[in-house]
Amino acid sequence: MDTQEKKQSILIVEDEVSLRNALRDKLMREGFHVLEARDGEEGLEVALHEHPDLILLDIVMPKMDGMTMLDRIHADTWGKNVKVIVLTNLSDVGIAHATYDYLVKSDWKIEDVIAKVRERLGE
Amino acid sequence: MNKKTIISALDDKARKLKILAKGKEAVRRKLAVTAEKLRLKAKQLAVTAKKKETVRHKLVATAQGKEDVRHKLVATAQGKEDVRHKLVATAKGKEDVRRRLVVTAKKLAVTAKEKESIRRKLAVTAKEKESIRRNLAVTAKQLAVTAQEKEDVRRKLAVIAEELRLKAKQLAEAKAKDEAMLASIGDGLVATDTEGKIALMNKAFEEMLGWKEAEIQGKLFSEIVPMVDENGKHMSESGRSINIILKKRVKATITTATSYYKRRDGTFFPVVITTSPIFSENEFIGVIEVFRDITKEKDIDKAKTEFVSLASHQLRTPLTTVSWYSEMLLAGDAGMLNDAQKKYLDEIYKGNKRMVDLVNALLNVSRMELGTFIVDPEPTDILALAQSVVSDFKPQIDQKKLKFSEKHADNLPILNADPKLLRMVFQNLLANAIKYTPDKGKITLELTLSDAQGLVSNAKGQISNILIKVSDNGYGIPKAHQSSIFTKLFRADNVREKDTEGTGLGLYIVKAIVDHSGGKIWFESEENKGATFYVTLPLAGMKKKEGTKTFA
Repeated sequence: MDTQEKKQSILIVEDEVSLRNALRDKLMREGFHVLEARDGEEGLEVALHEHPDLILLDIVMPKMDGMTMLDRIHADTWGKNVKVIVLTNLSDVGIAHATYDYLVKSDWKIEDVIAKVRERLGE
Repeated sequence: MNKKTIISALDDKARKLKILAKGKEAVRRKLAVTAEKLRLKAKQLAVTAKKKETVRHKLVATAQGKEDVRHKLVATAQGKEDVRHKLVATAKGKEDVRRRLVVTAKKLAVTAKEKESIRRKLAVTAKEKESIRRNLAVTAKQLAVTAQEKEDVRRKLAVIAEELRLKAKQLAEAKAKDEAMLASIGDGLVATDTEGKIALMNKAFEEMLGWKEAEIQGKLFSEIVPMVDENGKHMSESGRSINIILKKRVKATITTATSYYKRRDGTFFPVVITTSPIFSENEFIGVIEVFRDITKEKDIDKAKTEFVSLASHQLRTPLTTVSWYSEMLLAGDAGMLNDAQKKYLDEIYKGNKRMVDLVNALLNVSRMELGTFIVDPEPTDILALAQSVVSDFKPQIDQKKLKFSEKHADNLPILNADPKLLRMVFQNLLANAIKYTPDKGKITLELTLSDAQGLVSNAKGQISNILIKVSDNGYGIPKAHQSSIFTKLFRADNVREKDTEGTGLGLYIVKAIVDHSGGKIWFESEENKGATFYVTLPLAGMKKKEGTKTFA
């Protein structure tokens, strides 16, 4: 952990392998430290353990979906304020929220996703 | 005094004495005359005295005679007095007579008036008699007619009686049919009187709501069957169609599809309700309501929506994969590319983008058709929104070297609209204009105020709308295809090859948004001359619409 203090850590919670890999490769290329999780359950565990600087969160996942995981994280003292970008292919409302962005993956270029990550981290 | 004077004086005196003596002689003479005269006079007087005595005697005789005359005069006076009394009496008598004559005259006059009055009355009576006589004549005629008519009426009544008998039979048959129909229709039916009390209901009603007709006949329908929302919460009765119709008594049919009815046991289900007033010969006599349990339809809709959501979600995942990896390859993340590789990858990327657009469009179309989309209006600066869309398109405008101009009214108001939907309208119209105009062509965007028909002049019509005008001088729309422009997946022949990137759903979606906002969309176009699209949006703004989905 100490050797990576300069790099900011991003947790990717995404069940689709190809997308998770694409995001990981791109983020690493851009100089970020990347953590991964395959579902909400894993994501919750890693988040509470590793305290990433930002979470890229998918919604439709097995075992535990993204929204449930988010609720669980918000119950935690650290988790209450963690930065989250929801990355999903659902375009349903009711999920628009003040505390996190909501991006539809198929509408966003991956480089724009990275730009958004930087933007959120910079705040 | 001297002697002369005395002598003189004595002369004078002597003289005077001579005068005097003369004078005295004169006087003596005169006196003698006078004495003679007096002697004559005395003689005369003696004659006169004799005469006087004679006269005295005569006077006495005369006095006597006078006395007689006087007595006679007195008698005459008496006699006159008697006559006078008699005349007075006569006068009085005359007066009485005169008075009586006056009275009589008056009486005669009155009598004359009365006679006149009686005469007149008699005249009137005569007139009336004549009139009565005439009336009697008419009545007699009428009686004659009536007798005839009575006979006709009697005949007609016989016919009517027969018709009534037939009608009664028909009504009984019709009633039997109606009852059979009511019993067999699957929708619930209730008819109320003018106060909303149940007059009639059918079997389906009983089954759907759990009430028997005998139990609730005559009771208020809206009390027996409460209207609730999807959470079972009672909704306001004043907004309920049946109450609106009962109150307003207008000849209108109201259909609602957003409420639920509560059963006798407290459970509730979604219904579509159609309510109409019943008028019999222009008199309002009650309300009839038909309602259908749409639980199944709602479930199907829900399933459809979920399917579409799921399908689009599933489709998007591989599309995202292709998109991101192509993008990273093109960015050189996996190594430098030669020109050919870049070109091919570009095709892959573009093709993939089209699929993404298509999935989004299909998702929107399905939401529109299912009515599950949301309209969330907020005060929107329409000009700013339009200009932001224009700047998004700037790269394409520049690339095709198109001449883009804008013309806007000064007084555009803030519109209550859903900015997401409004943005889609602008995006679509501008994208089409750009797509279907060759390089170096011309595109204009205008925003003004107008009436509902899109007329901008103030002469007639009320300024009630914002008018959006997008025109280009491109390929235009051939007449043969103009009627299909707003249909799904339609692309006109003349541009099919030019536009390889569109979904064919843009105008369909825009029309749905515009229609839903209470506006209008239409166009003018001639092949190879260009096209102008007009959209009016009411200044009253879009209405908030609850739903479960936003547009993709």
